[in-house]
Amino acid sequence: MVQYNFKKMTVVPNGKDFIDIILSRTQRQTPTVVHKGYAISRLRQFYMRKVKYTQQNFHEKLSTIVDEFPRLDDIHPFYGDLLHVLYNKDHYKLALGQINTARNLIGKISKDYVKLLKYGDSLYRCKCLKVAALGRMCTVIKRIGPSLAYLEQIRQHMARLPSIDPNTRTVLICGYPNVGKSSFINKITRADVDVQPYAFTTKSLFVGHTDYKYLRYQVIDTPGILDRPFEDRNIIEMCSITALAHLRAAVLFFLDISGSCGYSIAQQAALFHSIKSLFMNKPLIIVCNKTDLQPLDGISEEDKKLVAEMKSEAMKTVIGQGGEATNDDGVLLTMSTLTEEGVIAVKNAACERLLNQRVELKMKSKKINDCLNRFHVAMPKPRDNKERPPCIPQAVIEAKIKQAAEKEKRQTERDLENENGGAGVYSASLKKHYILANDEWKEDVMPEILDGHNVSDFVDPDILHRLEELEREEGLRQEEDGDDFEMDGLELTPEEKKTLAAIRKKKSLLIQEHRIKKSTAESRPIVPRKFDKDREFTTKRMGRQLSKLGIDPSRAIERARSRSVSRGRKRERSVDRGDNDGGDAMDVDTPNKKQRMLSRSHSRSRSRPPTEVAPGEGFKDSNQKAKALQKARKSNKNRNKDARRGEADRVIPTLKPKHLFSGKRSIGKTQRR
Amino acid sequence: MPQGDYIDLHRKRYGYRPDHFERKRKKEARLVHKRSETAQKALGIKGKMFAKKRYAEKALMKKTLIMHEESSTRRKVDDDVHEGSIPAYLIDRVYTTRAKILNNTIKQKRKEKAGKWDVPLPKVRPVAEDEMFKILRSGKRKTKQWKRMITKATFVGPGFTRKPPKYERFIRPSGLRFTKAHVTHPELKATFNLEIIGVKKNPNGQMYTSLGVLTKGTIIEVNVSELGLVTPAGKVVWGKYAQVTNNPEIDGCVNAVLLV
Repeated sequence: MVQYNFKKMTVVPNGKDFIDIILSRTQRQTPTVVHKGYAISRLRQFYMRKVKYTQQNFHEKLSTIVDEFPRLDDIHPFYGDLLHVLYNKDHYKLALGQINTARNLIGKISKDYVKLLKYGDSLYRCKCLKVAALGRMCTVIKRIGPSLAYLEQIRQHMARLPSIDPNTRTVLICGYPNVGKSSFINKITRADVDVQPYAFTTKSLFVGHTDYKYLRYQVIDTPGILDRPFEDRNIIEMCSITALAHLRAAVLFFLDISGSCGYSIAQQAALFHSIKSLFMNKPLIIVCNKTDLQPLDGISEEDKKLVAEMKSEAMKTVIGQGGEATNDDGVLLTMSTLTEEGVIAVKNAACERLLNQRVELKMKSKKINDCLNRFHVAMPKPRDNKERPPCIPQAVIEAKIKQAAEKEKRQTERDLENENGGAGVYSASLKKHYILANDEWKEDVMPEILDGHNVSDFVDPDILHRLEELEREEGLRQEEDGDDFEMDGLELTPEEKKTLAAIRKKKSLLIQEHRIKKSTAESRPIVPRKFDKDREFTTKRMGRQLSKLGIDPSRAIERARSRSVSRGRKRERSVDRGDNDGGDAMDVDTPNKKQRMLSRSHSRSRSRPPTEVAPGEGFKDSNQKAKALQKARKSNKNRNKDARRGEADRVIPTLKPKHLFSGKRSIGKTQRR
Repeated sequence: MPQGDYIDLHRKRYGYRPDHFERKRKKEARLVHKRSETAQKALGIKGKMFAKKRYAEKALMKKTLIMHEESSTRRKVDDDVHEGSIPAYLIDRVYTTRAKILNNTIKQKRKEKAGKWDVPLPKVRPVAEDEMFKILRSGKRKTKQWKRMITKATFVGPGFTRKPPKYERFIRPSGLRFTKAHVTHPELKATFNLEIIGVKKNPNGQMYTSLGVLTKGTIIEVNVSELGLVTPAGKVVWGKYAQVTNNPEIDGCVNAVLLV
């Protein structure tokens, strides 16, 4: 099935641009360098290629133009006629014919000049022949410039034609100008057709879609038709006539019984009779619009007679289709698009009649038999005569009623606004529904900056809770510190206390640092620290630094040595551990303390869980923070595999590893290693 | 889906953006600067093409400006003295004029006797033989070099048949044979595509004339029945001489000027 998608046609370039495009493409896509001294066959080939390439490009582009524009004889007669009405068929065909001839001419030129190029015996001669060939091709295109411009305009207009499928269910609306056709289509579909008080507001066909009985119907709005002889009709009216003539659709003939369109019922009836030949074999419905201004019963006698005549004509179409002759209401309907009464009825009537007609036709056709054989609608036989209506639980019904009542009772903000003077006068108090500990705080103004800091960085809903936790920890810590201060069984002097505090501070800093590079398999460098060539981090260094502070380093060195995860020390450690059970807690203070420190440091409670977002950190939610932490860890992984200490560590341990710089190969050459 | 004149409809309903006109004006003002930037920066073939276009535009602009500046003012008109008018005191004098009024036909006859033709291209660059002919080797061992291929455009009549290939010395390749010429009428300034009837004279030599070689300056006879010329006696002229004005083998076509 051909899709009438005229929107997908490629743009037709104008003459000059066309030439520019093709010539610049030739220049870019074919080799450009040639010298006098090349072999003559190479020179000839070089220039022949250019000529042929240009011809091919022209051929391609002109062919796409000729192929994409629809052939008026090959498409549905509705579109063929519509395009003829809009853009004169002859002119259209001539333009396309010119493009075709241009394509052939260019082909001929290329052939001739390629033949001549075979006899070229110098660079200059070949070049001149190529220039002449390209020049002639471009002259041909220059000559068809006006045709190209015309086709481009047509293409732009065609792209804006409504995509009407001529074979599907269609409802066509026709009538005098200003009777209310566009308003009707605006009411039943989502088409946004312009509605204005002057005649001929709608200047072309518009299509909208509507649903009836789970099927989609096209509704086509046409420009108004005046009562004129056929030859005098202008292009706009011819559009509607074409639609009427070629589309198998249900026709809604609109009648303005109030006469506010500027035309009397007599004139409209005359129009009806002059185009009634177009209504053959189509379900016709006469719709009397604008009944809010003038009800159908209130019109004069002659007008009633005219309407009756029209109705009888319409009835003929019903009978002609083999429908019931009794269906009076299906033919003449009244409605008002302004008050929206009767609009749905009209739509339903039209869709119903169209559906019936189509179904009948399908049933009569030959194809239906093979379909009929394939499906069978099974109607279950009723068991008994008991009625079984749908079962709705009582609670649901009650809830529905309550909801409806609530909806009516509840006063919305909008109602409040309207009561108090409207949008510009009343500004709603957004803080009305705040949930706070003390209701008086609702109208308080919250500061944004305090003491040079952003208040929001420090806001935390659980702050009191956390403060408690922290204090609890601190409380524990205090006890511990107290213990420590009596470490050696005697109180420490203030200087010692100060130095102890300094040591503890430094230690906590280090611990925090280390916590960042958590000691897991990923983040711990797999390559051992044998590349610590400088051997900086020794216990001796630590001893020196501690003695600088004025403290005896010997115990610290011992502890560090015992703690280090080196193979030699494992046994010691386990021994230490094992001793714990039997040994005196008081006696072997160091390992016990160390253990406690270890366990403490490993399980030291944090004030926050790791993925919880602190206000000042800049994360949207904990997911984002978790992801960020993961990314940081991931970037560490590869670095650690290379035994690099950080991002900026570019140390190459050995600049000239031997296996890359020496040695013979068993097979092959040593040109690259 | 947007139907019909949806752009205009939108403009009708919602109007333009608040800054639409300002933006438009500014964009157009910026275009001037952009143009000058491209004019200064464009290099190579693009630059040359742009410069050419721009030059044509400027020339046109200047002309229109001058036209606008022309004002319709009233100027004094000098009374011209007519030719042949003489002052009153000289009216009665008698002058004898001595001029020879020669008949056109007499002129023609004289010319023919002299054998001179007044042609548009009196002098033409001579074409050397090695430029004209390409030597073709033939024979079993390709040692014989008596065949020649003509590298210029030629004209052979409609009844032309080649000599048997074994004996033909001058080969006129069919790709280089032309039957039609683009003939310009010097007074009408119009060009017509006319058939060549024959080669009258090639200035490079009599041999080339007999071979039918078309080079620059060759006099050819063309079929002018299209033009519908008539002799004073009433006969229809169907053949006229024309002179070739280009190098046909380089341009791929024969351009000639009609000799009237």
